[in-house]
Amino acid sequence: MHDLNRLLLLLAVIVGMGDLPPSCFAQGETAVVEARQDIADGPQVLSQEELFRAMALTSRAFRQAAEVVRPSLVTIESFGGVSAVQGRIGGIRKQGEGNTTGIMISPDGYVLTSTFNFIQQPAVITVITSDGKRRVATVMGRDDTRKLCLLKINGVADMPVPKMVSVEEMTVGQWVVSLGVGYGDTSPALSMGIISAKNRIGGRAIQTDANISPANYGGPLIDIEGRLLGICVPMNPQSQAIGAGVEWYDSGIGFAIPLAGSDELIGRLKKGERIRPAFLGIQSVPNPDGDGLFIKRVVQGTAADEHGLLVEDIILKLDGEPVNDLLKLRQMLNQFESGQEVELTVYRAKKNEEDAFQLKLGTPPKPKGEPEQLEPPKIR
Amino acid sequence: MKRKLKLLIVTLGFSLSVLGTNSLVIGQNEGRTSSFVEKMIAQAQPRMVKIFGAGAGRVEGFATGFFVSKDGRIVTAQGVILDGRRVRVVTANGTSYEAAIIRRDRQKQVAVLKIEAETPDYFELSEKQIGEKGDWIVALSNAFKVADKEEPLSASLGIISLRTEMEARLTKRDVAYKGELVLIDAITSNPGAAGGAVVNPAGQLVGMIGKVINSSETNTRLNYAVPCSALFDVLLGQKTVAAAEPVVKPTEQADLGIVLFKFGGRSNPAYIDRVVRGSPAAKAKLRTDDMIVAISGQKIGSVKEYNNLVETLRPNEEILIIVKRGVEMVRARLTPRAKKK
Repeated sequence: MHDLNRLLLLLAVIVGMGDLPPSCFAQGETAVVEARQDIADGPQVLSQEELFRAMALTSRAFRQAAEVVRPSLVTIESFGGVSAVQGRIGGIRKQGEGNTTGIMISPDGYVLTSTFNFIQQPAVITVITSDGKRRVATVMGRDDTRKLCLLKINGVADMPVPKMVSVEEMTVGQWVVSLGVGYGDTSPALSMGIISAKNRIGGRAIQTDANISPANYGGPLIDIEGRLLGICVPMNPQSQAIGAGVEWYDSGIGFAIPLAGSDELIGRLKKGERIRPAFLGIQSVPNPDGDGLFIKRVVQGTAADEHGLLVEDIILKLDGEPVNDLLKLRQMLNQFESGQEVELTVYRAKKNEEDAFQLKLGTPPKPKGEPEQLEPPKIR
Repeated sequence: MKRKLKLLIVTLGFSLSVLGTNSLVIGQNEGRTSSFVEKMIAQAQPRMVKIFGAGAGRVEGFATGFFVSKDGRIVTAQGVILDGRRVRVVTANGTSYEAAIIRRDRQKQVAVLKIEAETPDYFELSEKQIGEKGDWIVALSNAFKVADKEEPLSASLGIISLRTEMEARLTKRDVAYKGELVLIDAITSNPGAAGGAVVNPAGQLVGMIGKVINSSETNTRLNYAVPCSALFDVLLGQKTVAAAEPVVKPTEQADLGIVLFKFGGRSNPAYIDRVVRGSPAAKAKLRTDDMIVAISGQKIGSVKEYNNLVETLRPNEEILIIVKRGVEMVRARLTPRAKKK
């Protein structure tokens, strides 16, 4: 494995041709210097045979990385549920009938997966661990802002868990492999790619060009050493609906939620908390006469309504930062979750004065006649 | 160590070519930078052909194919495109030929065509399995009819995701493909890509890009190849197992002595409402409120799936049944009896 690291480090150095930060591939500065020396010393012309062997070696790196994480990979089975979700879920007609993927994150049986996998609200969920044993799983908490769901299986004590990589350690451009058992085989399907970007969707996700689809939602995105970078989930910055993001499956735009350092989040999920997206409750347009957002409509019963925002009021700042367009507002709100407080600076039209106050963000209203558990996806 | 070092640099060179950077020269070829992937593609292109035929409704009248013999045999995907009055093949140098259809295998979704021309460029089909999970591949096809006349086909790079047996189809009316598929992570599920070639770094044919199908497991489009060994069988005209025929129902129906809970509206798990006294289920000590999880290795996700499976069971043939009792999994063997009429 160490050789593989070096190999990929070398690769990174050469692609960047000298301008890489020492943090590249999370290796020390010495290693980078050594790698550059290796390149300088090495032969410049390679034979066909050498190239072929090299290619085979990279493939082996992908396989080996997958094998490292495989003991923590679990297969999730669902029983019963809504027979068919109305309309389309993102780009697909309906959820498939197959099993889905999850990953063991603690020796005592906590499994993380994606909420997408339970879009049909199964009555019973079972988890098959890598040793082939099937156990009944209990649903703990869920985080709708990250499309994550925590499961628990009982009667286990020494489950293998993957090593995790923090976002700071990750480099845009580094190799990644996504894994999932959704195609129905006990052996996971692999897809390779790179990290395309960090800090996406309110800073919650990393982006990758490896294939991400219902075949691996809930499964791990790993680095070349088999360490966990994140959990693959469907995401779309424009929508918080449960199925949003599926329309981008296998498109080269995929997302994963990094887990390192999220002990607090996991703790909340263990307590059964449900984390919902933040919702302000206004419709607005950019102020035609100056800065800020002009409120066109206030939705009843939402945070905006409760804090007395009225039509014709103008939102000037959120947490001290000016908001002049809708995208900016959405981008800023994306960083929060329901129940958190923000400071809002508003021009109150009626009183003709500026007012700054703390506002507790609410949740999006439930569509009428829908079950409590499941917000149906936006139908396209 | 020296040897290892060499390998490392070798890998570098390759990776570089994958990323399409030209900052390091890897092997001079007439003064031009040549990369390994480029070689894979260059070697395959003259073996590829564009195919034009009948279109119908939303099915396009174009596809891809490749030579598999010196005497002009071409392998492509079986489909509506071959149903028209004539099928036209355009080779890599832009020459157009009328093709004869030699063979169509509906189960494997593969067809063999032939043109009256000799070619030095063709894929040697192998009866062996070519390529394993993680191996690099290049997929070549004329997806979206991007290439015209002598223009080379579109190439994309990926790896083999999985080799697996699966059932997949695009619509309910389609004949389901059954057998081993080579799933790849290059995107090939596009119009016109069917019949394209998937090659490995050694230039061997891994398989043929199949027509657009959905996986019933995920309900997503699959990017896959029909493995080379299956093409080999079709080319040789070997009889394949009968196409995905409907499962023949046994003449005598099996009875387990299980009555399931009945609810309406939802797709319900197979919960046992009642176990008939003296029945096979009773002998296996199954109880009310047990939930059937699997029968003979097949997952039972709902009442419907249970009913479908029971129809295929035969009396006096022992089965393994797994039920969920509380939070425990209970395994039992039972032998169905014949259903009373």
